[in-house]
Amino acid sequence: MSANSAAYPMGRRPEMVRREPLVSNGVLGMLIFIFTEVMFFAGLISAHTIVRSQAAGQMWPPYGQPRLPVEETAINTAALLVSGIVLFLAWLAFRREPQSARIPLLLSILLGTIFVFFQGLEWVALLGEGLTLQSSSYGGFFYLIVGTHALHAVAALGALVWTWVRLDKGTLQATQLATVAAFWYFVVLVWPILYWKVYL
Amino acid sequence: MSRLAIVLLALAWVVALPEVAHACPVCFDSSDENRQAFLVTAAFLTLLPLGMVTGAGLWLRKRARQAGQIEDGTGPPDA
Repeated sequence: MSANSAAYPMGRRPEMVRREPLVSNGVLGMLIFIFTEVMFFAGLISAHTIVRSQAAGQMWPPYGQPRLPVEETAINTAALLVSGIVLFLAWLAFRREPQSARIPLLLSILLGTIFVFFQGLEWVALLGEGLTLQSSSYGGFFYLIVGTHALHAVAALGALVWTWVRLDKGTLQATQLATVAAFWYFVVLVWPILYWKVYL
Repeated sequence: MSRLAIVLLALAWVVALPEVAHACPVCFDSSDENRQAFLVTAAFLTLLPLGMVTGAGLWLRKRARQAGQIEDGTGPPDA
């Protein structure tokens, strides 16, 4: 007989109460993943800051390297931020009536796709101007940091499309939307920091 | 020797004895900007995980309290 069962007389043992988890497994897993990704980007940003500080007093971007399109990317950044806000509105709509989240979710995906598409166009233009991974540490950091973010954005967009398909079929659960939304918020919120550090 | 005297002596030891030690061969550069960048990024990378873990802990505590209020019937049902 275990110590626990000995503590309560027969028939008096309290029933185990099964509580709802504070956070769903999906959201918890995503938060842990986001924590690791935040540290990954923090490492990249720190390395960039140190390399840039070593070029203090010299030109940055280095001589012969093209300037990054600051203004165009600012518009792109705005599209991404609006996408995050619209996704939050989709979440609120989903809580009221799941099917009413279809349009805001689609709009959020569209804005995210616009961001990725124009970033891709920017890359093509910069490659044409001679900025490559090997051209300088400036180019190396640009493609590494922005490219890593783009990979995350594409993956998150894929997940958003998956949620939209499930929503369309009527099988989307709130925890699934919350998990994917957490990933997209990470993609949206980390970008202004990258823009500030890399472009400005 | 009283406990206070020992503490004061230890503090004086800590304040008076240390010398600047350049333990990291790459963390020192002739330029001020580079040295400052190392300091800032070291602080950033140290504090960031601590901040995230603290934030997550506070958020979970808030959720746990809300859940407790719902079970007790003292909080709003949609909290």
